[in-house]
Amino acid sequence: MRSPLRKAITAAAVLILPSTAVAQIGLTSNVATVALTATKNATLSVTPNASTATLASITDGSNVNNFTPVSLTTSWNLTAGSSVRLIGWFATPAQALVNGAGFIPSSKVEGRVGATAYAPFTGAALGGVGVAGGSLQLFSQAVAAGSYFGTRNDQLDLRLDLTGTTTLAGNYLGTLNLQAIVQ
Amino acid sequence: MRFGRYGIGLLALSAVLAFRARELSAQAQIISLAATAPSTLTITVTSGATQTMAGVTDNAVNNFPAAVGIQTAWSVNPGQTNTVNLVAYFSIPAQALVGGATQIPSSRVLGRMLTGIPTTFTAITQNGIGGVGTAGGSLSLFAVSINGANKIDTRTDNLDLQLNLVGFPALPAGSFTGVLNLRAVTQ
Repeated sequence: MRSPLRKAITAAAVLILPSTAVAQIGLTSNVATVALTATKNATLSVTPNASTATLASITDGSNVNNFTPVSLTTSWNLTAGSSVRLIGWFATPAQALVNGAGFIPSSKVEGRVGATAYAPFTGAALGGVGVAGGSLQLFSQAVAAGSYFGTRNDQLDLRLDLTGTTTLAGNYLGTLNLQAIVQ
Repeated sequence: MRFGRYGIGLLALSAVLAFRARELSAQAQIISLAATAPSTLTITVTSGATQTMAGVTDNAVNNFPAAVGIQTAWSVNPGQTNTVNLVAYFSIPAQALVGGATQIPSSRVLGRMLTGIPTTFTAITQNGIGGVGTAGGSLSLFAVSINGANKIDTRTDNLDLQLNLVGFPALPAGSFTGVLNLRAVTQ
């Protein structure tokens, strides 16, 4: 009698235990994934604090014809390149400023950034930016992997060098273009 | 004569014993049969497994381009399963997306499942569920109560994702990549 009872208990245990082992709490699925890519585009911008620079009274035969200075903020966020350069240029170098039929060429307009010497807008285009004979590189900032994300502030000084030149009375108007480039 | 009379009796007794012997049976033994169908729980990303955001804007909320379609299928024992849960998580919450030395944490990645629990965009900063997910880098997407009617079921949901850069330092130009994990678990 003892033996059959023992067998019955054993059989019952065998039947019960597996159902406990397959309890489903904590059952996990496969892992699915979603690949995320967010790209921040490279940027390069130059922003003047004023859109107008004025010279109230021209003095002929002098280079002391200073426009009001313009503050510039140049910002870049790059992935490549070795330098950020700022170019100033006149679309028509022979007519940088115009007063009716009176023209002041870009060779008579000079610019500088910081404490550098004034230079005329007579250079070549750079990297497709600017106009031949009417351009001036205002600065060249070296950049590298550690400085691909940066900004700088400059004061742009402009003047007319009218040494040896006489102008007609009137208002001379012109547009100086500013554009930054990465090389 | 005496032998013959006893002989007939013996034969008759033998016949009775013989018939009795055929009626003898052993003690009944039972064999219980048990066959277990394994429970199953699977998820499939049916669309949007690759999310590419072309132009990220700093200090703004950026939407990933399309919803992630997720199909969850299960066959479970309702007596042993209370809920089926879907969890989204990043393996390293502090580095949900990485680009060079810049890391975007999971607190900046938001998820929404209109048919699930986070019906508004919610940061992926919760703890794991049932051992699935990472602490501070998870988001519970849905929890379905299991009963006899839905012990075998399939559901499809859409997960919308955002990158919230409001107040976050401006990102350097470049690509930021990461992997969002999705896994279902029963409880």
